Amino acid sequence: MTLLRHLAAAIVAGALIWAASVQLNAFRDYQLAEIAVYVVAIAGLSVLIGLSGQISLGNGAFMAIGAYAAALLIIHLNWPVWAVFPASAAITAVAGGVVGIAAARLSGPYLAGATLLLAVALPSLALQWPSVFGGDQGLSITVTAPARLGATFPLTRWQAWVCSLAALITLVLLANLTRSRVGRNWRAIRDDPVAAALTGLNVGRLRVLAFVVSATCAGLAGAMLAFTTTLVSPGSFTLSLSIALLTGAVLGGLGTLAGAVWGALVVVLVPTYVTDVATSHGLSSGVAANIPIAAYGVVLVLVMVLFPNGIQGGLRRLAGPLIPANLTRFTEPDRHQPASKQAGGLTSPDRRRPVGEHQEEGTK
Amino acid sequence: MTEFLQFTLGGISFGMIYAAIGLSLVLIWRGTRILNYSQGAMAMLTTYIALTVITRTGSYWVGFFTALAAGLVLGALIERLVIRPVENKPPLNAVVVTIGLLVFLEGIAGIFYGGQYRSFPTAFSVTGLHAGSVPLGISRNDLFVAAAVLAAALALAALFRYTSAGLRLRAAAFNAFAARLLGVRVGRVLTLGWALAGLIGALAGLLVSPNTFLYPSSMDSIFVLGFTAAVIGGLDSPVGAIVGGLILGVTLNYAGGYLGSNLVPLFGLAALITVLMIRPSGLFSASHSRQV
Amino acid sequence: MTSPAALAVEHVVAGYGGVLALQDVSITASPGTITAVLGANGAGKTTLLATISGFVRPRQGRIRLDETDLARRRPEEIVRAGVGHVPEGQAVITELTVEENLRVGALRRSGRADRSRVLADTYRRFPMLAKARNRSAGTLSGGERQILVIARALMAGPRVLLLDEPSLGLAPKIVTQVMDLILRLRDETGLTVVLVEQNARSALAIADRGVVLNVGRVVVTEDAAALAADEALRRHYLGF
Repeated sequence: MTLLRHLAAAIVAGALIWAASVQLNAFRDYQLAEIAVYVVAIAGLSVLIGLSGQISLGNGAFMAIGAYAAALLIIHLNWPVWAVFPASAAITAVAGGVVGIAAARLSGPYLAGATLLLAVALPSLALQWPSVFGGDQGLSITVTAPARLGATFPLTRWQAWVCSLAALITLVLLANLTRSRVGRNWRAIRDDPVAAALTGLNVGRLRVLAFVVSATCAGLAGAMLAFTTTLVSPGSFTLSLSIALLTGAVLGGLGTLAGAVWGALVVVLVPTYVTDVATSHGLSSGVAANIPIAAYGVVLVLVMVLFPNGIQGGLRRLAGPLIPANLTRFTEPDRHQPASKQAGGLTSPDRRRPVGEHQEEGTK
Repeated sequence: MTEFLQFTLGGISFGMIYAAIGLSLVLIWRGTRILNYSQGAMAMLTTYIALTVITRTGSYWVGFFTALAAGLVLGALIERLVIRPVENKPPLNAVVVTIGLLVFLEGIAGIFYGGQYRSFPTAFSVTGLHAGSVPLGISRNDLFVAAAVLAAALALAALFRYTSAGLRLRAAAFNAFAARLLGVRVGRVLTLGWALAGLIGALAGLLVSPNTFLYPSSMDSIFVLGFTAAVIGGLDSPVGAIVGGLILGVTLNYAGGYLGSNLVPLFGLAALITVLMIRPSGLFSASHSRQV
Repeated sequence: MTSPAALAVEHVVAGYGGVLALQDVSITASPGTITAVLGANGAGKTTLLATISGFVRPRQGRIRLDETDLARRRPEEIVRAGVGHVPEGQAVITELTVEENLRVGALRRSGRADRSRVLADTYRRFPMLAKARNRSAGTLSGGERQILVIARALMAGPRVLLLDEPSLGLAPKIVTQVMDLILRLRDETGLTVVLVEQNARSALAIADRGVVLNVGRVVVTEDAAALAADEALRRHYLGF
């Protein structure tokens, strides 16, 4: 049974992570927690884009909602971590539903535009009511490891444990979801919304559901981020965050959960590594800080040109037989389809031919 | 009442900037069905180039026209080298590539120019103009901004309607297949489209940077609002981009003036959602109703 | 008036998407003649035209326009060499006016005077288009669109015209008009025409030579009248 298989995998992974966390120093434990945060957020986005075929450039905003919700719950109600996480996720889920309903009729660039604006607009809300949200400085929370673990137990290790556990649980749930009927229905509406509607699927509701799931993951990730960094401010949720999530999802491989892990590893580890290398070569810190940013951009461009399916897809392609490249096509891809057709035009690992291109049936 | 007038006129000035970005996005969208997320970053880079030239030569106008030329070149280079491989792939590839470009350009700017906010000069004076004794809330420079964008838009319209280059652009944009059959070099035409978009984007960068200061991510929010303007107007419509920009500029100025500047992006979002609820493809779009 | 050109397809092997639509196809179109290319769906007719005009690269073989080998050149070069291609399905640019469509056809010509002259000539030959010149091309009927795309292809002054199923979707009366037009073009300008058609009867009525393709190979090359008269061949390959 798939559920058991997923649980078993999660338990093994959990054991490995626990073993590793004990060996790692405080900074690495912190990074481990960070990676867990991004795994959750990226997995949610990857499911949205890869499975349901909708794009969101605004999941950073959902992370902000989750983070602020968590901070407020901790500060004002003093809730424990295991209550805060699900509560923040649930609050963000509601927001995801609202956005999803508003966005269900949009597709392609129109959806991208709306979510992009959301990413930029939402954090500025925090500045409007500084008494509640702490304004520019944000809200800081105190996190302590439970007394049971001993007074000298490193906080970062506790944070790594909590976040890793949350990430594993999320991955198991998402894995089951993607293999369930809902997952199959999402793929159907992604590949051909019209045909799916004709078979009786409620396309609108499925789209909203995908948004809710993706927002829930982002909200949980936001709460995890608050828990890890102990500070929540508008500055942590800029457009760059949403871009980083998209980067991670694409680089890792859309629609695959393993891809979310790859993506999180890249997004968290590569910038610090590159900056370290740059500073060790004598470059000023200002310049060194920008090198990973520039390198990011180059990698994104190159990956899309060389590996349209991301790392996971690339690995799969290297392992399987090589498909000969298409010869020049007489019928060019039909770029003048109505926008709804373009909604499904996203690659996923299990399609050979991208949607949106026109195939002549047989030859004349 | 004067406040209202000031907000309106000021909104028009900003709105023209959004219109310019929107126009360049529409230009690229019509030709290649790609949304260029790096349009703002391209404009940021050409503005840095202008700043370097202005500081070296002491002349604003030399820097101004250098930036416009740089915009042409940058647009053409990007299409030829980076966009060409993804033109016929699924839309997400182009999204990621242009976002990658955005990130790359901001990183490059950070490396070469540093992250500090730089001031950028205006073309004309910024002292407020008066109608008699009534302060209008705009300056000579604001008038220049509006006039420049309008002139660029009209020049573009003339190019499209009256020149064979323009005919090629339109033919390739509407039906690349038929155009190729008639011998049109569609590739070159697309490069031209991107070059023109780069030019207009560069203009927008020059006009807005005095207000926002110049730093690597200074064009981010301008781009987002320009994108919003284009979507409101309908991605296929250059006229829509201009109208969308004006509507957005004025609305946001009211929101900022009467309600506080923090809520401005949120109002932009509200405006966008409102328009898309009524007409999912934008105000001036010609597309048919969608099935799902 | 352009000088008549010979088109020779020599042992061409071509296809796309992993399917070889043409397997050793050889066809000769003599200068100033109409060659009808016939056959069932899937026989390779459209791929043949696509290969000639440069949209599909032949794996083997040559495509000669008089002495020049056009195989493996890019479509815009082939158009410039004098090959006009009217695709199936009337690739009318509906967002442009009739006149703008025609002007696009003339783009490969250099010089405004040259283009204006050709436009005037075209309006003289096709008064229907002259009347509709400022209408959006999307408002034209099926038959009018077919005339438009033929006229548009002629604006470039081709020496060889490839026509892919011009009768598709048209009422019989309009089909006759279109076929008459093609015949007149051949007579008046010495154009070499390669006409792909499902409607074999109408095509053979105006053609000089008939070629039948079957599953990517040439099975019959014959004088058109003889082909039309051969009942057994007709019944077997052409269905009438």
